[in-house]
Amino acid sequence: MSIKTSAHSPLVADLASRFQEAPWLVQQRERAFALYTSMPSPKLEKTDLRDRPWLVESIPSATTGGAGAAAQALLEGAKAAGGAYVYVRDGVTIETSLPHSLAKQGVVLLDLHTAVDQHPEWVRRHLYSVVPAEESKWAALNAALWHGGVFVHVPSGVRLELPIHFIYEETMTGKGGLPRSLIVVEDRASLSFAEAYLCHGERQEGVVHSAVTELVVGPDADVTAACLSRYGKGPTNFFTRRAKLADNASVDWVIGDVSDGFTVGLVESRLEGPGSKSTTRSFGVGYGRQRLDFTASMDHFGHHSESDITLMGVLRGRASSTYRSSTHIERGADEASSEQHDRMLMLGSRAQADAIPMLLIDENDVQRCGHAASVGRIDENQVYYLMARGIPRAEAERMIIWGYLQPLVDAFPVEPWRSEVASWIDGELNLR
Amino acid sequence: MSSPVLTIEDLRVSVEDKEIVKGLSLQIKGGEIHAVMGPNGTGKSTLASALMGHPAYSVTSGRVTLDGEDVLAMSVDERARAGLFLAMQYPAEVSGVSNANFLRTALNARRGEGNELPVIKFHRLLQQKMKDLNIDPSFAERYLNEGFSGGEKKRNEILQMSLLEPKIAILDEIDSGLDIDALKLVADAVNQLRSPQTGFLIITHYQRLLQYIVPDYVHVMMQGRIVKSGDKTLAEYLEANGYDTLKRELGIVDETVGAEA
Repeated sequence: MSIKTSAHSPLVADLASRFQEAPWLVQQRERAFALYTSMPSPKLEKTDLRDRPWLVESIPSATTGGAGAAAQALLEGAKAAGGAYVYVRDGVTIETSLPHSLAKQGVVLLDLHTAVDQHPEWVRRHLYSVVPAEESKWAALNAALWHGGVFVHVPSGVRLELPIHFIYEETMTGKGGLPRSLIVVEDRASLSFAEAYLCHGERQEGVVHSAVTELVVGPDADVTAACLSRYGKGPTNFFTRRAKLADNASVDWVIGDVSDGFTVGLVESRLEGPGSKSTTRSFGVGYGRQRLDFTASMDHFGHHSESDITLMGVLRGRASSTYRSSTHIERGADEASSEQHDRMLMLGSRAQADAIPMLLIDENDVQRCGHAASVGRIDENQVYYLMARGIPRAEAERMIIWGYLQPLVDAFPVEPWRSEVASWIDGELNLR
Repeated sequence: MSSPVLTIEDLRVSVEDKEIVKGLSLQIKGGEIHAVMGPNGTGKSTLASALMGHPAYSVTSGRVTLDGEDVLAMSVDERARAGLFLAMQYPAEVSGVSNANFLRTALNARRGEGNELPVIKFHRLLQQKMKDLNIDPSFAERYLNEGFSGGEKKRNEILQMSLLEPKIAILDEIDSGLDIDALKLVADAVNQLRSPQTGFLIITHYQRLLQYIVPDYVHVMMQGRIVKSGDKTLAEYLEANGYDTLKRELGIVDETVGAEA
C-alpha cells in the first residue's frame, strides 16, 4: 500500500513513502523543511557558521559493514547492563532489544518510525513539543528529515532498575546523521538512559549531523540522561538535547564529548513545574583542530526550582572550545536556586578555552545563584609536588588531568560505558 | 643495607637571579639528625627546595651527592626515587586525586617496577601508619590535601615520609601551625624512623620541636650560609639568648640574605 503525499521536498517525500508516514507527520516535516531552507546559517556569538556548507543529499536506505570498534564496545556494554538498547547505523535501525522484564512493566522501546505507526497519539502529542523546528536551522533540519530514532515510554509509577541504551553510529557511507530520540516518562516513573552518538570521521566536508533529544518528564518522575559523543573532523555537527520538567520532576544530565570535530551543542532543562530540579555534569575532551561551542542551560519557570551545572573541559593540540553555562530565572520562578561551576584545562600552548557563565534573572525573589569559572593550564606546583614523591612527570600530569575528569566520568550511570570513555580519553590525550 | 650519606659542597642557589644560598657545605649521614635553625629570610627553605629540585630554584655552583650519585643531575622524581624526601611547608592540593591513590602511586614509584606492593597489603600498611599518626581513616579517600587544615597537611607530609622510608628526609618548618599534640605525633613519627638507614635535615625557627626530636647537630643559617654549628646545646643557647646575642658575637647586623652587601 502506498499513500499519496503532498510533499514538496523530494527528501521529505522519500521518507514519507519509505516509512508510509501519516499525513500529520509529513505536514510537520514539510513545514520544518521550509523553515530549514529559509533560515540563514547564522553567526553565533562565538562561532561563525556563515561559510559552512549544508550538504543535504539523498538519505541512504541501507548501511554496509558491521559495527565499528567503539560501537561494538558500547553494544556489548549495553548487553551486559541488562540488554535494553536500540542500535542505529547511518540512520538505519539495526537492532532493537527490550528485555521481557521491562516489556512486562509496560515500557515501550521502539525505533521512532515504528512508534509513529504503533503509538500515533503519544508520538503526535510529544514529537516537536520540546525541540521545535523554529529554534534553529539545525533543529529545523532534524525536524524535517529525522530518520533513525528512538521512542521510549515509561508508564506512570514504573521505576526502571535497568538503564536503556541508544547507540547511533555514522560511518563514512552516511550522508549526515539526523537521529531523534523522544523519551516520555510519565508521573512518578523513573528512568536512566545512556545515548551515544559516534561519528567515524576523516573529512566529509559539507556533511551536517544534527541530533535531537526530546525528553518529557512528568510530575514526580526522575530521569538520568547520559549522553556521549565522538565527532570526527570534516562535518558540521549539532546536537540539541532538551528536557521539559513537570512538578517536582528531576533530570540529571551527564554529558561527555571526546572529539576533534566542529560542533555546536545545547543541553537544556526547562524547569516548568514547581519544585523541579535538574543537574548537568559535562566533560569534554578536545584535540586536533576541534571546535566546540557548547551551552548547558537551565531555564527556570517553576517556583522553588533548582539547578546545578558543572562543566569541565580538557583541551590539547589546537582544540578550541567555548563552554557556556546559562541559567535563566524567569519572572514567577520565585525561590529558585542555581549554581554553576566551569573549569577548563588547556594542555600545550595552542589549545584555547573560553568559559562563559551567564545568569539572567528576571525574578526578585531568588534563593541562591552562584557561579565560578576558571581557565588554566596544569599547575606546575602540583606536578612538582607529585614528582617530589617519585612520580614521573607524565604520570603526574595524567593523575592531575584525571583528577579533573574522574568525578564526571564516574557520574556516568553505565559501567561498561565508563571504561570505554576512559579509554577514549587516555588515547586522545596520549595518556596511555 | 648500607647507611646513606648526603654531601653538600659549597652550594650556591639563586632565585630569579638573586643569590640566596651562598656557599653552603654540610654532610648528613644515616642515623644523624641535623637541625638547621635561623631567623626568617636567611635561606633555609631555599636550601630545602633546591635540594629537592624545585624548578624556580637554580643551583649556580657546588655539588650535592647522595651515596656518591650526583643529585643535581637528577630530575625531581629521580631524586625522590633515589631516597630524598622533602616534607613541604606548603604542600600542593590536587583535586580529584584521592590521598590513597596518590600514596600508592608514590610508594610503588619508589619501590620500582616489578616490586609494587599488592593493593591489600598497601591498604593494611596505610591503615596502620594512619593509626600511628592519629589520622582519621576518612583521610585516605579525601582528595589530596584539598580542604585540609594546616595541621592535617603537615601530618599528611609525615604520613608520606613514614610510608616512603626515605634515605634522607628534609623537614621544612614542619612545626609551623602545629599544636603541641600534633607536634608530639610528628616527633614520634620521626623518632620511629630514626635508624642508621635514614638521615634527617630539620629546618625550624624554633627550638620547640627540638625538645621532642633531639638533634645530633645544630647549624645556624644567616645570610645564606651556615654561620655556626654545634650540638643540641646550641639550640638551647639560642632559645635562652635569642639570635641577637649570636649576631653580636658574629658581628652580623642584619642576618637576612642580601643585607651583607
